[in-house]
Amino acid sequence: MSVGLALRSGVAILVFIFQGAIAPGHAQSSSPASPEIVEIERRGRGTTVYFNAWAGDEAINRYIAWAAREINRRYGVTLVHVKVADIAEAVTRILAERAAGRLSEGSVDLLWLNGENFAALRNANLLYGPWVDRVPNARLIDTLGNPTTIRDFTLPTDGYELAWGSARFTLFYDSAAVLDPPRDPKSLLAWIWAHPGRFTYPRPPNFLGTSFIEQLLLLLVPDPGRVQHPVGSDFAAVTRPLWAWLDAAQPAMWRRGRLFPPSGPAQRELLGVGELDWTMAFNPLEGSRAIAQHELPDTVRGTSFSGGALANSHFLAIPANARNPDGAMVVANFLLSAEAQVRKADVSVWGDPTVLDITVLSESDRRLFGEQSAASDQGPGGVLSEPHPSWSAELEREWIARYGVR
Amino acid sequence: MKPVALALVFAFAGIPVLAGVGVTLVEAANPVAWKALLQYPGIGRTVAVSAWTGCVATIVALGLAHLTVGLAAAAARAERLRTLILPLIALPHLALAIGLVLVLSPSGLILRLLSPWATGFHLPPDWQTVQDPWGLSLILGLIVKETPFLVLMLLGARAQFPVDRLMLQSRSLGYGPMKAWWVSVAPLLQRRIRLPLTAVFVFAVTNVEMAIPLGPAMPPPLGVVVWQWFTASRLELRAQAFAGSVLLLVVALGALAAAWGGTCLARLVLRAYAESGHRELRAERPFRVLALLVGVPFTFAISAMAALALRAVSAMWRFPALVGDHLELRLVAQLAPSLKMALGSTVTLACSTAIAAIALVTLINESLIDDVRWRTRIGVLLFAPLLLPQLAFLFGLQSLLVRLGLDGTWVAVGWEHTLFELPYVWGLLAAARKQLDSRLILTARTLGAGGLRSWRAVTLPLLLRPTLLAGAVAFGVSAALYLPTLFAGGGRVMTVATEATSAASSGNLRLAAAYGAAQAFAPLIALLFATLIGRAAFSGRQGVPR
Amino acid sequence: MSRLILEQVTVSLVRRPRLLFAPLTLTVEPGVVLSVLGVSGAGKSSLLAHLAGALPPALEARGRVRMDGEVLDGQPPEQRRLGILFQDDLLFPHLSVGGNLSFGSRLRGTRGARREAIAHSLESIGLAGFEARDPATLSGGQRARVALLRVLLSEPRALLMDEPFGQLDAVTRAQTRERVFDEVRRRGLPTLLVTHDREDVTAAGGPSLVLESCLEG
Repeated sequence: MSVGLALRSGVAILVFIFQGAIAPGHAQSSSPASPEIVEIERRGRGTTVYFNAWAGDEAINRYIAWAAREINRRYGVTLVHVKVADIAEAVTRILAERAAGRLSEGSVDLLWLNGENFAALRNANLLYGPWVDRVPNARLIDTLGNPTTIRDFTLPTDGYELAWGSARFTLFYDSAAVLDPPRDPKSLLAWIWAHPGRFTYPRPPNFLGTSFIEQLLLLLVPDPGRVQHPVGSDFAAVTRPLWAWLDAAQPAMWRRGRLFPPSGPAQRELLGVGELDWTMAFNPLEGSRAIAQHELPDTVRGTSFSGGALANSHFLAIPANARNPDGAMVVANFLLSAEAQVRKADVSVWGDPTVLDITVLSESDRRLFGEQSAASDQGPGGVLSEPHPSWSAELEREWIARYGVR
Repeated sequence: MKPVALALVFAFAGIPVLAGVGVTLVEAANPVAWKALLQYPGIGRTVAVSAWTGCVATIVALGLAHLTVGLAAAAARAERLRTLILPLIALPHLALAIGLVLVLSPSGLILRLLSPWATGFHLPPDWQTVQDPWGLSLILGLIVKETPFLVLMLLGARAQFPVDRLMLQSRSLGYGPMKAWWVSVAPLLQRRIRLPLTAVFVFAVTNVEMAIPLGPAMPPPLGVVVWQWFTASRLELRAQAFAGSVLLLVVALGALAAAWGGTCLARLVLRAYAESGHRELRAERPFRVLALLVGVPFTFAISAMAALALRAVSAMWRFPALVGDHLELRLVAQLAPSLKMALGSTVTLACSTAIAAIALVTLINESLIDDVRWRTRIGVLLFAPLLLPQLAFLFGLQSLLVRLGLDGTWVAVGWEHTLFELPYVWGLLAAARKQLDSRLILTARTLGAGGLRSWRAVTLPLLLRPTLLAGAVAFGVSAALYLPTLFAGGGRVMTVATEATSAASSGNLRLAAAYGAAQAFAPLIALLFATLIGRAAFSGRQGVPR
Repeated sequence: MSRLILEQVTVSLVRRPRLLFAPLTLTVEPGVVLSVLGVSGAGKSSLLAHLAGALPPALEARGRVRMDGEVLDGQPPEQRRLGILFQDDLLFPHLSVGGNLSFGSRLRGTRGARREAIAHSLESIGLAGFEARDPATLSGGQRARVALLRVLLSEPRALLMDEPFGQLDAVTRAQTRERVFDEVRRRGLPTLLVTHDREDVTAAGGPSLVLESCLEG
């Protein structure tokens, strides 16, 4: 595939996936002029924002470091990346602070989260807001074309969290080894059996591993709608086909299921050195980014299940007891600017797809997006809605009980 | 000055340990926590794996250490041996563990060297050579690290006995060198290293840093499980973590009891062997092959370091290439801000705490030079942090620090680092000070120099080399410290140790290799410095102690 | 009973031409005690070390050492069957008196037989019932006796002694000396005694030689 063709098809696919009505009127680009944001920026100047974000992937850390430099340069705000291995740590800390009566001088100003973590904070009334309307660049988000930007694992965001990037569960494989990529659980199982020791998934409760089994669950249950509702006493019956699949796959998996990679980046490294033929990620451009940064061979391609891929967005939220909500909003506003989103989606940096509606951007900004290098041939599977947040904890628990001790 | 020195020592070393253990025990007195702990899937396996790996590794390391020292004694190469093993001792546990993963795994150095020409593999085989359920890779890692330390201890003990004459005596009675060593010398040395051996044993059973990359994962050894509960920061797991630390302590004590029983048995066996009078000289010849085993720790340590370096610079280390096709100092450069910052913190901490430790030990040394009783007591007190599983008291200590509002501060981290350096600095400097002829100082004083002046003019210069060495060792200890930095720093102090561990635990081996390489080379450079400066100073004078 | 023969034996520093002492040629007859005297540093202990087969690597030796016809050079200490007694008794502290003796003994047989033999030999040196005792609880003279017994139990062909009575007080010294020389004569062992005590020489009643240092100073 030539670069030019890849480029054009990449952008076309992006637009196709996130197509929606063109929002009338607002030809807003990333130069906000509302008096409110000016006031917020003034208050935020000279302050420090503690941004708790998952630090498991160096590419993302480098992006955040870049953003910190830019934000410091433009707005005089010092962004500190508080590296966490799992955002649940920050959630716990916020809960603990509230329990200790710390209602205003919290240690977390801005959080990168979604799903169950958002649900936990929202349900405990620990989120600041609603604040998304006060951030001008939020209006650029393609909420119609990508409903997951306002609905997080079936919970409405209600302005309490701001979509930052979009995600789509994607499997990556080495096309030199996988000649005819399987597109459904059954043929994947057949492939695993034909190639023992070349497939695995990150160990739950790592979020990627949990998402993989959720993805399988959604494709294997006769009634996927059941999973949109909270988990109940029929858990065993509903999940039976999932465990059957996993049991069948286990003996032919990498290390015969006696060992799992601890995270997505770890599995990506295993693919890079040649121990595996597969990896997975929520970033559909992960493969391209890794190829561009010489972490994976250039024969790697992405695909998703023909029955549909889990798609969601990931968000930025502000805790209710944040010490510096103004600074946090300045940071959020910058991260949603076209410039920041373009760089984020650049496969030579991070490759995380944008949540912005490209069509409502100004000419110059739209061109920025057009210059990006291409995605992979994902194939047109549909999009599956995320299950209710209560399922992941139960699935993790059951997985650990069944496979956690070898 | 004496009471001041004693008070300082107790404040520095005694209180943290006592308080830490106390708080841990108190917080663990929670039946709900114990119930949850015992319901952890695979808790039995977890405990068994910890005990098994710890015991096997220590026994083998001890045997290898005796073998090494015995052979060196026969070849009269003891001094050279000491120089050879110091770098191995300075190598941090975690860096070594990461390196070993990169050597032993199916896509690691060994198979790369052998493939495809010897093995025919074009892809890494699906072997569980690392993180195997029996903990063999962990045992290997522990052996590689513990053997040099035990060798050093045995060499120190050896200096206290007329080993050459004992050997000659036994050999003249008709025994070959091996039996002569094992029967007449080894038991004497063994008695002298009981304290350090206990520390080694406890570490082997309860360690976290080596077990994260190398140890079994499903389920991990107990130390790792407790660490996971602590770092998960979930409130409901906190009480469980305290209970887990107490369980860790219990397991360590149980293993020590078993070891004690084993020692008694070994003593009986040895006595029977000695008194049998058998002098099979011919039987000793095949055992000479065991001499090859002595090189094992060295070989693995060096290959681990090589693997670290290779992995850090190879962007895509595709099997079976030895070096990535994209040699990239770029990643290392890209890490530069975090690497630089982490390295900066590490070096600052290491230098400042080494100086603090040396100052404290010198103060104690000088004020207690004559008091043998207190010196022994202090020696044991300073050793206490090494005799306990770190998790057992660091956890409790952190609770205390939080209550005092000191957690997350550099002071707290520095304090805990110094705490762990003190035993090594004391071991080196106290021995060196004792060996110093007291009549030299007396002479200085009778010549008119006061206390401080005679110290500066006589003691200090003569102790310069041991002090530099102690400083280098303290530096290495500090650079390697992970749990104390994590706990006292509240996760906010970033050193190469914390970054390397977090990278290793999430499986980012390349990143871990980069941090690990930094963590490994820093103490080696410090050691080199110390040796060079030491050698340069007083290079013309042969009477100055080494 | 064999003779201990030295032929042009001397010791020097490795790769240096200067010898520690002039080359020795002598024969020690069975039962005879040859006393070796000389100033400190003259090389007495080095001579003994060489005869025992444990010369330190910094030194090298020349000449030939024989027991009758058998050349000892090149043989490791355990094969030479030359007993050695040092100034410190070097009794193993981790074994009992009986254990130390049993270690030295070459007696084959069952444990019971060996134990009986050890007990018997302890009686013969006046230490009946001392088998189970901890060597550290014995007096200097008793320890010296046990050390001697240990060496003799190993059935050596000759005996080398490096100032073995140095740590004993005058009375014990005389007694122990008596014992040693009696045994040596009784068993017909050629003996080399390194000492600087003239009384030892007189009591030994054998030839003596003074090692004169060839080195300066």
